[in-house]
Amino acid sequence: MNALLLSALWGVVMMFSSFLVKEKSAIRNMAVAGLVLLLLVNILEMNGKVFFDINTRGMIYFDRFSLLFNSIAFISTFIYFILSAKDMEKVGDNYAEYFALIFFILCGITLVTSFKSLLILFLGIEIISIPLYILTGSDKRNLKSNEAALKYFLMGSFSTGLMLMGIALIYGAKGTFMTFVPPATVKEAAQATPASALLIAGMILLLFSMSFKVSAAPFHFWTPDVYDGAPSVFTSFMATIVKAAVFASFIRLFNDAFGAEKSQWQLLVAIITAATLFIGNITAVFQQSVKRMLAYSSISQAGFMLFALYAMNGDGKEGLILYATAYSLATIGVFAVLIKLKDFSFEGFNGLSKNQPILAATTTIFLLSLAGIPLTAGFLSKFYMLKAAMETGQNLWLVIFAVLMAAVSVYYYFRVIQAMYFKDGDVSPDLTVSPAFKTILVFLAVLVILLGIFPGLLLNWYYF
Amino acid sequence: MVLTHLLGPKRKTTDKLQTFASGIETHGDARHPMAIKYFLTAILFVLFDVEVIFFYPYAVNFKGLGWEGFFAVLLFVAFFLCGFIYIIKKGALKWED
Repeated sequence: MNALLLSALWGVVMMFSSFLVKEKSAIRNMAVAGLVLLLLVNILEMNGKVFFDINTRGMIYFDRFSLLFNSIAFISTFIYFILSAKDMEKVGDNYAEYFALIFFILCGITLVTSFKSLLILFLGIEIISIPLYILTGSDKRNLKSNEAALKYFLMGSFSTGLMLMGIALIYGAKGTFMTFVPPATVKEAAQATPASALLIAGMILLLFSMSFKVSAAPFHFWTPDVYDGAPSVFTSFMATIVKAAVFASFIRLFNDAFGAEKSQWQLLVAIITAATLFIGNITAVFQQSVKRMLAYSSISQAGFMLFALYAMNGDGKEGLILYATAYSLATIGVFAVLIKLKDFSFEGFNGLSKNQPILAATTTIFLLSLAGIPLTAGFLSKFYMLKAAMETGQNLWLVIFAVLMAAVSVYYYFRVIQAMYFKDGDVSPDLTVSPAFKTILVFLAVLVILLGIFPGLLLNWYYF
Repeated sequence: MVLTHLLGPKRKTTDKLQTFASGIETHGDARHPMAIKYFLTAILFVLFDVEVIFFYPYAVNFKGLGWEGFFAVLLFVAFFLCGFIYIIKKGALKWED
């Protein structure tokens, strides 16, 4: 509750700072300060200190899972801000507004990780989506950015329409917007009623629209164009923090609302998972631009995160927390380096190790983590996901398929490493990076390795 | 209806066949490019129009919601006022450049 109110308020503060504060560095510092404050109050709430007591009639409920997820989102955004906030200046004139929109998105994220009512889910998803449409099209003079924004807006609103239709059908079946209604009597709990067709139809519509939002195949078609067309700084944000948060809400929705109908959707989710892994990885192999490759890689990583949904057990939830963190940190790091380069193709990375050895080394660690090489966070998070899927004891082909696809992913991640270390070239000779930028990158890389060795550093927060 | 349509006299003049635009003479077709200012004003109008629409259900339930509802609506209006100050300060409603 603390973070929810503060993020909305800070969004308004950033909005006003656009005409009250002139210096760009002051605006940036304000945004970073706001984020630190946000993180602080969220951690205080994890320790039981709630500043506001608002009666939401049970529509919002902050539990351990949602609070931890919010903390991860705020930490990732914090790292993202100090790495890439300076590069937002190049996008356009409305510097303070970009931060305001990001704070509003964070407000939406706190909603979707903590909803107990389908209405709040809808509200949160919209609060996330609308600022994202604007951020996608923020490079107003660029035709590709405009095209991406329009595409994203049209497809996004269509999928939101599907979601609303699903919510309406579920309301028709259950008579309430609440995701979980405890049975009134013991007798009622004992007799299992078969799920009505109305409920199943609504559930499938919700499954489709949420799959769209996390860009799972076959609803992924918008992803490459939007991620490619949007300004790189904002692609970094929406491919990581937003995607992870929507996954958290996906899990929460299916755990609370459709936990009883697991047998109905499990095979469907398995098929979506397999399709996402296949399309994401195979198409990424053929890409010539690293930015577009990262867009497809985000689809394939979404495939792995879908395992948490498929398994829907304790290990799956733990795995999702770890996976979201590992994926967000690594991708933010790769994007931060990518933004600094002029040429987004694989050739653009040629010979980076000679010019900027630290940048090349840290990027290598991030890519290794994304590929799931041992000793990095990416490996353990993939391991947790597959373990959770094994525990269900069904559809073992899916696990084998995922391992094969992870092997395919090594190919396109290593192409970047190969370009950096084994190809000659003189990329961006005028490339200048501040020592602070390098320090944070190294810190991020250390974090990725630390989580790969001691996942308990993060997962213990889930329980204590 | 079909009969009157068939039997009735038809006198087509260029004035009659024009698109009806509130009695004003038409300027080109709908694909005519217009200044973005019109769209901005229109969309801002819609925004504040919707705000007012929200008062209707509140007015109906005014007594039932009591002070708690009053503060909720006050908060809603305060947030909207923030947006209003923002668009004025940003010069979104300035017509002349």
